[in-house]
Amino acid sequence: MAQLVKRYFFGFYNLILGLVTTGKHLGRHAVTIQYPKERWTMPERSRGMVVLLTDHETGQLNCTACLLCLRACPTAAIEIEVEKDEKGKRRPKEFVVNYHLCCFCGLCEEACNFAAIKLAPKYEFPEWNSKDLVWDKKKLAEMGFDVPYEKPERKKAEAKKAPAAKAAAEGDGDVTAAEPPTPPVQPPDNKSGHDTTDGGETTSSEGGG
Amino acid sequence: MELAPIFIWLYNKMLEFGLGITAADIISLVVLAVVVFGFLAVTALFLVWWERKISAHIQQRFGPMMTGWHGALQTIADAVKLIQKEDILPALADRKVFFWAPVIVFVCSFAAYVVIPFGDGLIVSDLNIGVLYIVAITTFTIIALLMAGWGSNNKYALLGGMRSAAQAVSYEVPMVLAVLGVVLVTGSMSMNDIVRMQSAWGGFRWNIIFQPLGFLIYVIAATAEANRTPFDIPEAEQELVAGYNVEYSGMKFAMFFLAEFVNLFTVSAIAATLFLGGWNGPWLPSWVWFLIKTLGMVLLFMLFRWTYPRLRVDQLMEFAWKGLVPLAFVNLVYVGIVARWLNW
Repeated sequence: MAQLVKRYFFGFYNLILGLVTTGKHLGRHAVTIQYPKERWTMPERSRGMVVLLTDHETGQLNCTACLLCLRACPTAAIEIEVEKDEKGKRRPKEFVVNYHLCCFCGLCEEACNFAAIKLAPKYEFPEWNSKDLVWDKKKLAEMGFDVPYEKPERKKAEAKKAPAAKAAAEGDGDVTAAEPPTPPVQPPDNKSGHDTTDGGETTSSEGGG
Repeated sequence: MELAPIFIWLYNKMLEFGLGITAADIISLVVLAVVVFGFLAVTALFLVWWERKISAHIQQRFGPMMTGWHGALQTIADAVKLIQKEDILPALADRKVFFWAPVIVFVCSFAAYVVIPFGDGLIVSDLNIGVLYIVAITTFTIIALLMAGWGSNNKYALLGGMRSAAQAVSYEVPMVLAVLGVVLVTGSMSMNDIVRMQSAWGGFRWNIIFQPLGFLIYVIAATAEANRTPFDIPEAEQELVAGYNVEYSGMKFAMFFLAEFVNLFTVSAIAATLFLGGWNGPWLPSWVWFLIKTLGMVLLFMLFRWTYPRLRVDQLMEFAWKGLVPLAFVNLVYVGIVARWLNW
């Protein structure tokens, strides 16, 4: 009997405790937000959509069409068509990111030496038509136009060495197995260097391994 | 501002206008019925919204926010949607029983308001067996729930109806015994007499002060009567889909839903009347005091719902018969001795 009374009192105490707990929570502010009306400010390095960054001084894309991102991409979501401008400098003629394949891993951003490609903290890009999820260069540049980034400060010697070393490390990949491994980066001052690729070469990742 | 004089003035105007007493009575009764119905419909809509907001804020969400101020018009939108819905009749349903069940639930839950005093003089009819009437008429809804469960010809609905009946029969006993304590000290079953008895001490001589155990038993039993968590096994979502109303749709479902919240308001109003002094209180008009107390009780029931987990069926029965009924008898003996001793 005493046991029973004790049990009832203990149970009653716990019931009150529960009410106090929920009462406290009733007074707190909600942790959710009203999504379409207000949005989280995403952290700067959060991985949202893939964009191409623009150099605001020259108005040109930072991309040098070195194809490092293409090789780094684990799902082969990137396609690049290389061309040369009048100075012989490499630049992407076409740059396609296929969001059906993209897994937002950020490896392309890590591979890039020129702050040309970045996963911006924007996450809302739904489309009615699935074809619209394959973004071309124009769209990528447009979406990345106002994305803030730090331009890497690099000296010319380093710029020559580091990408070359990286290219050597990755050069034996099977992406462009048909061709001899090409140094993917053309340093700006090296006009008459080892230039094995033609201007209109298309390197598509599907064509490789 | 007291509301009762307005009704008396209107009644006298009707007599002056040349209507006979019978005609005036009939007209005033119809008007009262419409007023009470309108009040309860609005209250039920409000309570649905309030419950959603409170549950949301307990879980630190917002709840409905889009329609109206903080989603205040959400239940109206829901009601409009329910009216538009097709009325589906199961092929093997017992048609008459299926049809009449929501009607009976609806009528019974509203009929309890005949004897509930909303304020000083704001009572439709001051029956001298008011408490007995309320106990009888609210129990009637159980029959309708059983009808709904049987008529649907669905195993989940039938299980819900059976559970509802078993639960109501069990919890009716401690509830009536707890209410009996109040009747014992008042010496009357009239709701008005019970409220007036508590009007001493500036309106704060509440029955809960002398019968806290009775109040506790009443609140627990009333939670079970209103089929609310932690005693909501008749409509336990995880086990029975929706319980007795699983086959209902459209307006019939809306009637069940409305009756559920009217029942919640009923048990809160009875608790406020019997134990919390009814419409007694200083400064404010009596009906405001009644609403404050009743909505406070509703808030308590809502906190119960969003705090406690559901009981199992065997725990439910054990708690009723081994816990509440003996406690209710202890309370009754205590009230009898103290009432005799204090010579109330």
